[in-house]
Amino acid sequence: MRLSSFSRGVLAAVLAAAVAGCSSSGTSSGAASSGASSGTIKIGIDLPLSGADASIGIPTENGALLAIEQAGRNGFAGGAFKLEPSVLDDAVQGKHDPAAGAQNVQTFISDPAVLAMVGPFNSNVAKSEIPLTNDAGLAQISPSNTNDGLTIGDAAKKLRTAHPDVNTYFRVCTRDSKQGSALAQVAYQRLGFKKVFVIDDNETYGKGLADVFDASFRGLGGTVLGHEHITSNQVDFKSLLTKVKSLNPDAVFFGGNTSTGGGLIRRQMGDVGLAQTPFLGGDGISDAEFEKQAGDAANGSYMTVASPDVTKIPAAKSFINAYQARFKSNVGPYSASAYTAAKIEIAAIEKAIKDNGGKMPTRADVLKNIASTTNFDSPIGKVGFDANGDTTSPVLTLLHVVNGKPQVVDVIQLKS
Amino acid sequence: MDVFFQQLINGLSLGGIYALIALGYTMVYGIIELINFAHGDVYTLGTFFSLAILTLLGVDSVVHGPALIGVLAVTILGAMILCGLTGVIIERLAYRRLRNAPKLAPLITAIGMSFILENLMLYWRGPSPVPFPQVIPNPQFALGAVTIQAKQIIVVLLAVVLMVVLQTFVYNTRLGKAMRATAQDKDAAQLMGIDINTTIALTFLIGSALAGAAGFVSGMYYGSTWFFNGFGAGLKAFTAAVLGGIGNLAGAMLGGFLIGLIEAMTTQFISDQWSNVVVFSVLVLVLIFRPSGLLGESLPNKV
Repeated sequence: MRLSSFSRGVLAAVLAAAVAGCSSSGTSSGAASSGASSGTIKIGIDLPLSGADASIGIPTENGALLAIEQAGRNGFAGGAFKLEPSVLDDAVQGKHDPAAGAQNVQTFISDPAVLAMVGPFNSNVAKSEIPLTNDAGLAQISPSNTNDGLTIGDAAKKLRTAHPDVNTYFRVCTRDSKQGSALAQVAYQRLGFKKVFVIDDNETYGKGLADVFDASFRGLGGTVLGHEHITSNQVDFKSLLTKVKSLNPDAVFFGGNTSTGGGLIRRQMGDVGLAQTPFLGGDGISDAEFEKQAGDAANGSYMTVASPDVTKIPAAKSFINAYQARFKSNVGPYSASAYTAAKIEIAAIEKAIKDNGGKMPTRADVLKNIASTTNFDSPIGKVGFDANGDTTSPVLTLLHVVNGKPQVVDVIQLKS
Repeated sequence: MDVFFQQLINGLSLGGIYALIALGYTMVYGIIELINFAHGDVYTLGTFFSLAILTLLGVDSVVHGPALIGVLAVTILGAMILCGLTGVIIERLAYRRLRNAPKLAPLITAIGMSFILENLMLYWRGPSPVPFPQVIPNPQFALGAVTIQAKQIIVVLLAVVLMVVLQTFVYNTRLGKAMRATAQDKDAAQLMGIDINTTIALTFLIGSALAGAAGFVSGMYYGSTWFFNGFGAGLKAFTAAVLGGIGNLAGAMLGGFLIGLIEAMTTQFISDQWSNVVVFSVLVLVLIFRPSGLLGESLPNKV
């Protein structure tokens, strides 16, 4: 991964130079330049596609690919333009990496055929990408980022460095302040946990979610016995878990991903005698890799996914069938969200082409159409964006691992 | 107080793994004054070799009775031999020709070797953590409220036994004497008829074999491994070797156990995220007052 990311960096730099050279000489190969009435239009896809994150990244990628392929078959923009995906992996050494994400976005930006992008998957990667897409005016829709600071408050404003009044970042999933407080309610009211121990991975997403959970759980009247942060690449959690055990919690909450420690912590809970204590987490541990890494200990874990359970939605039936026929596998927790993100972008691009008299639209035209999305029909329900780029119909699915498989317990509609 | 003793057990187990890795660092440094950064990766390779041997033996669950001893012996010895050979090959290919080059050249080569090994393992087993089968029955012994797992006892016992064997070898055999002589003065040792190439290769063989044993132990103890495991553990083990006095075998062991204990106690009584800070603060303090480490001597009596 080290080598490949390095060579990818070199490649990105060379490509950027090549594209800069092309545009100054006036011709670019393949891609339609602005104003042309035929050529290739691309949608960038940036997700973690290798390593521990691949088990959730690839089904997400498949969702976006399916939308692009369907659009192509259904005569995208009247057949004048060819629609293609441009897929890049932001995992380095098997884990999502903000620097790799930024590099990928640079590659998209320097390719004039890319009019919008789907991704990233992880909130810390989004933090490094938003300033770049904001500067270039390239619209991006994330299927899964849940950190509040990406859309809300001063933190979000600081990310929009080049054009503070322009928002290029959208997401079709809910935010952690909602996910975290919903998890706290589930833990306290529904599952009846009174004392919990909170652990997080000290990343943008994990710590953000754990902080909200911590505050909400206390707010409901629960006791947080302790809140600890683990370090990157840590493999020994036995001392930490021995400490947790000595405090005798009703449950352990983890803010983070499987790849940043979620799977190993759950596995080692078994070693120190905490196998019977429920493990609770957000969408970061909703991947299939979690059950693989935690082994038998995975049973009894609860987690949420920041999307509805599409297998229970009648309108999603045709999406699920098409997905299974195309990829010969079941949909992942974020496949439908990525499909929706790509569909919104495709619709925005088609409208922009039409408004432009059948000619290649600009990124600004596409961005404007995406921002004004309302009531968009999709497998995850009617989707629209508010002024911050957040979805107007937030929803969570609660899962419980039984016999090594996550089972849907409930779908929770949240207030927007 | 119970939790203190429980953490003592956790710390000693973790320390046992650090100690086994630290022995290899300290031996190589003692003899050619090279910080062998690839050593941590040889340790991870040990876990992967053990896993491959267990797969070959068709073992994927707990083994009982005499078969267990056979499986353990084959796996540990196999991992030790394969890792030992890897160490010898690395020395032959990467370090030998640079032995008389400026110190920085072999150091950078060692970092390069580390990357090569990491990427080979990445290619071999992929980037996700790989589960390691539970081969030994793991009865737990309760001492009051403190529980000790059989595998924790094995980690500590194996570390101490291998250290004693090594100590005996280095101080009581002809080959050990040759190693000590080479460590003190390569030229003089050569004049006395010692083949220093063989002696240095032997050092790599033994050091890497110990890393192989540590690799098996770590797989058994944590139940999983991944290709990048050796980076963090190698850094801690190297710190252990420096803390105990680099070049000193007993020092490496002492340093390993100390660091394991400091980590466990910091996690219990301060916070998990401070454990690295405390470990390295202790290292800095020790080096201020004893620049050659806890058991290090200013005169070279090192291997």
